[in-house]
Amino acid sequence: MFDSGGMHLWAIATAATVAAACALTGSFLVVRRMSLLGDAISHAVLPGIVLAVLAGGRPGGALVFAGAVAAALVAVGITHLLRTRAGLAEDAGAGVAFTTLFATGVVLVTAVASRIDLDPGCVLYGILELVPFDTVPVPLPGPGSVEVPRAFLTGAAVLAVLSLAVVLCWKELQFTAFDPDAARAAGMPVAAVSVGLLVATSLATVASFEAVGAILVVAMLVVPAAAAELLVRRFHVMVVLAITLGVSGSILGYLAAWRWNTNAAGMIAVVLGMEYLLAALLAPGDGVVARIVTRESLRWRVACEDGLALLWRAEESGVSPSQTPRSWFDQWTLLWLAFRGRVTLGEGGLLTPQGREEARVIVRSHRLWEAWLGRNVELPLDHLHPPAEWVEHHLGAAVRERIAAEVGGHDADPHGREIPPER
Amino acid sequence: MIFLPSLPCLATFLIPYNTVVVATGVAAIGFAAGVVGCFAVLRRRALAGDAAAHATLAGVAFAFLCSGGRRDLSVLLAGALVAAVGALGVLVLLRRWTRTRDDAATAIVLSVSFGLGITLVSGLTARGVPGSAGLEQFLLGHTAGLTRADALMLGGLSLAVVTIVVMALKEATLVAFDPAFAAASGWPVGIIDYSLVVLVAVMVVVGLPAAGAVLVTALVVIPPVAARQWTDRVGVMLLLAGLIGLAAALAGVATSALVPKMPTGPLVVIAAGGMLVISLLAAPQRGWLARWLRGRGVKRDWAEGRLLTAALRLEDEAGPFTHAALAARAPGGRGAQVAFKTLVATGAIRATEGDVVPVESRMASTHRLASTWRLSRHGRDRATERARRMAVWTEVLEVAREDARGHLTMDVPAPETVIEAVRLAAIRASGAEHG
Repeated sequence: MFDSGGMHLWAIATAATVAAACALTGSFLVVRRMSLLGDAISHAVLPGIVLAVLAGGRPGGALVFAGAVAAALVAVGITHLLRTRAGLAEDAGAGVAFTTLFATGVVLVTAVASRIDLDPGCVLYGILELVPFDTVPVPLPGPGSVEVPRAFLTGAAVLAVLSLAVVLCWKELQFTAFDPDAARAAGMPVAAVSVGLLVATSLATVASFEAVGAILVVAMLVVPAAAAELLVRRFHVMVVLAITLGVSGSILGYLAAWRWNTNAAGMIAVVLGMEYLLAALLAPGDGVVARIVTRESLRWRVACEDGLALLWRAEESGVSPSQTPRSWFDQWTLLWLAFRGRVTLGEGGLLTPQGREEARVIVRSHRLWEAWLGRNVELPLDHLHPPAEWVEHHLGAAVRERIAAEVGGHDADPHGREIPPER
Repeated sequence: MIFLPSLPCLATFLIPYNTVVVATGVAAIGFAAGVVGCFAVLRRRALAGDAAAHATLAGVAFAFLCSGGRRDLSVLLAGALVAAVGALGVLVLLRRWTRTRDDAATAIVLSVSFGLGITLVSGLTARGVPGSAGLEQFLLGHTAGLTRADALMLGGLSLAVVTIVVMALKEATLVAFDPAFAAASGWPVGIIDYSLVVLVAVMVVVGLPAAGAVLVTALVVIPPVAARQWTDRVGVMLLLAGLIGLAAALAGVATSALVPKMPTGPLVVIAAGGMLVISLLAAPQRGWLARWLRGRGVKRDWAEGRLLTAALRLEDEAGPFTHAALAARAPGGRGAQVAFKTLVATGAIRATEGDVVPVESRMASTHRLASTWRLSRHGRDRATERARRMAVWTEVLEVAREDARGHLTMDVPAPETVIEAVRLAAIRASGAEHG
């Protein structure tokens, strides 16, 4: 029927399809801060699926979808009741509702496992590897037909329905996600959109259930969307990126699982986690690396400028700079300043003309700020230095000019030292 | 807990000694999980505990791998603890370093760490490592595999955790209810908070053999929520949560022993869920039944009061009144009908003498018994008292400032006790505005 490569291709296609459906739904869950709803629903659909199968539904059939959506609505209803009637925090309410429903599902599965085509293992981590064996014939346009895995057809159908719904209701979805109050005031059916999202999450979950199981669905729902959210700012770009990440993660995950002979669903979750980790580390602007680089480069610049200003003050008062102790960090900045031609080494460092120029501007900023504080803020004299020590690194030429104009003809700071000229 | 060691000896005559030890150990786990869970629920850390629980599977698999394939429970659980604490650490890091919000961060840690665990376990199983198939028992819990020594170790750890919580009860309570005050009073809130979370992680790990990675969080969450329904006192809540957890654990172990191949975890959770449902329905103050009864009482009282005041005015204006006139003055559907019947039955409203219409065989409506009615002496007293209270309340609400109105409730038994204070406050406020 199939050669080995073809089977793997079908499994990969199934995983990619459900990953796309999940990432699409998950984007809305993540921006609406409803990720835990995905967690709750993925657990809660289990008893619905089992009961539907017991009632004669085929896996992936309409009855199973109906059962799962009903179970999801029950779980959300219970959470809502626990919150409004029993005054429970949302997390505890969800924790209670979905664990109990999931436990019921597991007990049902175990009790009737011999009679139905489900087992606890499949419920927890899916059977992606076996998906290609369960096929239905699909007629081709010409003569003949092709055998297509049922799970793939289900996933593709759900993906098509969800994509269509998202495209048609894009405006409503975006508005209610980012400003529900304004959306309500504008007359949008906010509650209906929420219920629709709920149903969409259930559909995506059921479609993925066979492939990746109840718990790893959460990874497909939340992780690509959260990673995409870190990388871009515009929502429609984020949705597309989330789908891309989800699809690529599931393909890579399947291949890795095949290479190392382990569970595909688990490996997909791990690969998605790595994608998120990379996004968190490398996100432009506020990724971990970008933050550290920004912080450390600022620290370095401040240290260099402090070093220059120290030498300038030493020249001013005629003290040899070699007498001031230096930490190893300051030694490095001195080397860097020498490399840049701002100082010459020897005698603890001497300013070059260019270095003197820059140092003067820094000291000018410092003393201007002290003078301004002394005039406008009621601070004792010995409290003027610390703020100026920080602000001196952040004053531009324009600001210095304005402060100088405001401070007026004073040539000295409150300590009586001369404010050096701009040039 | 002194009785626990002696329990096995007593029951040995009926059930195998080993089963009794295991059941006792699991009962201790249930008790401790309930106690620790109280603070997890109060501090809204329920789902962080869930993330830690899902991560334990990866820890178990790693420990199995590192220990060279021996299935020593204490080694596996040590690995699980490292993974659980690690998962909590990752949560803290994500909060500190990324703009991913808490809900998504929890879901990410939960699902990815679980995926890692599944990958490791199934990779080990696929390579046919001996003993690795047994690791799947940590998914859903399987107490039948516990030895006597394991059970004693888990029970001992549980008791140790309970002891720590009891010793740190004051600090934990303070941080749970008023962290800002605790911080202002100089308590190390951060350390206490982290210690509580670590205790939750420890309990999740200890509960792992009983309930499994997927459901062990229920052991920590459900009993406190059930206990919260019955009491407003922390000490009582801890004890109740412990007992509910204990009962659920015992029920789960017993049922899973009866049904072959049935994992323990789901049964424990369902037992706890059942107790929660009972608590939500039947708890004396916050329970659904009690609230429904209270609500009905308030509604009846209100309807009767309205009728009485209307009757008083009618009678003062024109003597005995007809039911139609009363119904026009105080309309109110079926509630008013019931209230009228009650008032007649309690003798607050009486038929005018000589106006009694003979009772027909199937007379459905009391109000047709007589054509005109009047208030009895005791009905008049009730009506006057209510009218007076209404008047005073109206005045209170008129003089009270906007922000004070929310604090005034009809529960205040006698409005005259607050009216002076309210007047004074109003005068002061207006004085402050003008002066």
